[in-house]
Amino acid sequence: MKEVNFDQLQEKIYTETLDNGLKVVILPKRGFSKTFVTFTTKYGSIDRTFKPHGKDELITVPDGIAHFLEHKMFEKEDGDVFQKFSLNGASANAYTTFGRTAYLFSATNKLKENTKILLDFVQQPYFTKQTVDKEKGIIAQEITMYDDQPDWRLYFGTIENLYENHPVKIDIAGTVESIQDITAEHLYTCYETFYHPSNMLLFIVGAVKPEEMMEFIKEDQAKKSFDKPEAIERQFPTESTEVDVSERTLTMDVSKPKLNIGMKCNKVDLQGQEMLEAELSANLVLDSLFGRTSAFYEKANAEGLVDESFSYEFTMEEGYGFAMVGSDTDEPERLEKLIRHTIKDAKSNWPVLEEDLNRMRRKKIGQFMRSLNSIEFIANQYTRYEFNEMNLFDVVPTLEKLSMDKLKEAFAMFSDDNSYTIFKVMPPKTQ
Amino acid sequence: MFNKTKLQNGVHLYIRKTEQFKTVNVTIKWKAPLDQKKASERAVLANVMEDSTKQYPTVGSMRKALDELYGTVLFTDVSKRSSQHMVSLYTECVNDEFFAGEDIFKQLWQLIRSVVFDPNVSNKAFDPDVTEREKRNVRDRIRSIYDDKTRFAQKRMLEIMRPDHPASISAYGTETAVSEITNESLYATYEDMMNNDLIDIYVVGDIDENDIIKQIKQFLPFAARDAVKQNELPDVKVSDSVNTVREKQDMKQGKLHLGFHTPVSFHHPDYHKMQVTNGVFGGFAHSKLFMNVREKESMAYYANSAFASHYGIVYVTAGIDADLEEKAVKLILEQLTALQNGESTEVELSQTVALLENSILSANDSARSQIEIFDQYKELDENFSAERLIEKWESVTLEDVKEMAKTIQLEIVYLLSGKEDVSE
Repeated sequence: MKEVNFDQLQEKIYTETLDNGLKVVILPKRGFSKTFVTFTTKYGSIDRTFKPHGKDELITVPDGIAHFLEHKMFEKEDGDVFQKFSLNGASANAYTTFGRTAYLFSATNKLKENTKILLDFVQQPYFTKQTVDKEKGIIAQEITMYDDQPDWRLYFGTIENLYENHPVKIDIAGTVESIQDITAEHLYTCYETFYHPSNMLLFIVGAVKPEEMMEFIKEDQAKKSFDKPEAIERQFPTESTEVDVSERTLTMDVSKPKLNIGMKCNKVDLQGQEMLEAELSANLVLDSLFGRTSAFYEKANAEGLVDESFSYEFTMEEGYGFAMVGSDTDEPERLEKLIRHTIKDAKSNWPVLEEDLNRMRRKKIGQFMRSLNSIEFIANQYTRYEFNEMNLFDVVPTLEKLSMDKLKEAFAMFSDDNSYTIFKVMPPKTQ
Repeated sequence: MFNKTKLQNGVHLYIRKTEQFKTVNVTIKWKAPLDQKKASERAVLANVMEDSTKQYPTVGSMRKALDELYGTVLFTDVSKRSSQHMVSLYTECVNDEFFAGEDIFKQLWQLIRSVVFDPNVSNKAFDPDVTEREKRNVRDRIRSIYDDKTRFAQKRMLEIMRPDHPASISAYGTETAVSEITNESLYATYEDMMNNDLIDIYVVGDIDENDIIKQIKQFLPFAARDAVKQNELPDVKVSDSVNTVREKQDMKQGKLHLGFHTPVSFHHPDYHKMQVTNGVFGGFAHSKLFMNVREKESMAYYANSAFASHYGIVYVTAGIDADLEEKAVKLILEQLTALQNGESTEVELSQTVALLENSILSANDSARSQIEIFDQYKELDENFSAERLIEKWESVTLEDVKEMAKTIQLEIVYLLSGKEDVSE
């Protein structure tokens, strides 16, 4: 077991990669009552074309399967796993993103019992035709629920505009139609390919004794047998740096128009420290161009072009990335112009001063320190960083040394004219 | 737990010293009787106070000052509890120990002082542009509930179930009440809040208690005020017949909301028994609603119950195919009937108590949750602790659950669903 100290943050992590390839990370938190445990596989909705474990031919599986699999892990021959967690006072859940599936619980009691339940249920699949078919009704209602959420439609509509081929444009849960094709055999194929311990990370944070816990996990894993780790071969379609569709509008029963601007990232092969620098820099750029201290915000706010829903974000993963800026607005055309103008202007006349950079740097460092109060943040983000070969605890030292040039480089990643798309959700026209 | 200090009549300070967090939280709560018109005034006021101060007269200058203090958080919000309306100011800054030579905490007090005692006011009126903008923002916030169909359905159900009652009054008031606000009325509301509200101040973090008391006396010199007597909740006459309401919008899923009455509410001696009963009914993923409506019948992704304890209301929400309304209602009511007939098990009971315990103990891991939970429970017990509540939950029996379930009476079935042809 390796110990790593982060003195500046007053945190210490314990890590070990077990014989079966599973990476275990433990972070004890002083004074915490609960422990939060996540068991995550590097497998999400975008992993739809791949070579199944032990096979040589690529296959493509139905859309929404990673999420479907996540649901089905909870049902076993002897019943529902939630029942077991509840008996031990643990609150359990799971989620699927584009690139990860995470199973998790939080508990203030019986940490070992609950960890054992988590490891067992994720490492012992049980799928039958009957249980798979039964789930289709539940997931169909989940998909329908999202269909009625205008902000979700706005977000996904923007991604669909940005990407022509990449599966990031496919809804994580799939569609009511696509999930009908999912079978128990599909689930086993995906499970065997992506749920090998060597493709997974177990993170334990909160009230935990590291040595004891690591021993417990090692013993458990040593008792289970797994195939030899195999490299996973995924295939992704080629994707240009240009957006697929430059503008689309969806009509929904909303009280006010919603505008979202998407900007496609032209650098999608970064990993590790380079990726960390790029994404932190991109976030600082968006902060300075669109944050509450920006000239843009002052004008948009004064003129009533944005409201409390205004937000912006930057997303970067292996193979895709984008910036988004959006708000509910009565004047989508004027707001769109102002956003476009802000981007265009920054290209010819760089607006970020050294003092702005220093101020935003301080803000981000403070924000990061604050987020370390949340054990959920630590577990989820550490895993995401690790899967991208970054370390969560490098954020502060990296922020400290970010230069203006890095910000300019980051801005160049998403500010091409042909990387820009508009998506609107509009209320029905009044008769 | 929190140490209480009386600063003035009607102004109290609650401090919790802990080394658990990397930040210090300071929260101020102003409490007044809930009233539709006042709620709107106070919602806009909260926004205006967050926007700017005399010292920092623009959003930009205010936010720059906060950013310089290592991204110190400062925001306001309004909420309601029973017949009380609350304006809250939330602030959080990183512990000084992480940044040698900085004095962040001291500067935070100055900022809070500026927001609370020195707002952006001249001639007894707020800046008209700011007022108009924040009126628009609060109005849009009220309107935007329409875009979230679950929230909208819940709002409609409560309005029909408890018209003109605190249970259905929004903490933001109404669009009409917002539109009637003037700079002058807003300033009058500010003065009223500063002079007459009950004030609770919370500080959580690695701090020196005596130092905090000294700082607050220096920076936040609130005057004494008489304890406002809280409004009694109006009596509710519950009809014996069930009200069925169906409304339509352009949407896909059916939002089924069932409202039930119970005489057991927050101040009732059986309150903790009803918390457990709600948990067995539909509070968790092991509960009857989840196991039967979702897992057994595959009819819904979510099917939950909740206990609005301050208003004696239990409600059930489920997202369903609207064509299956009748079947879903029947299935939900069967779960309640099962509880009333004593058809719950020791396993269901112990699962529920274990998860209630987990949730209250977990709340200790967030300073905000500690504050919110204590602020609520101190009304029942000034010496509230999670352990005391847990003891009570553990004493609840299956017989108690049965008796509690028998008090739960269906009042309304509300369904919000799509029109025949959904335009896309």
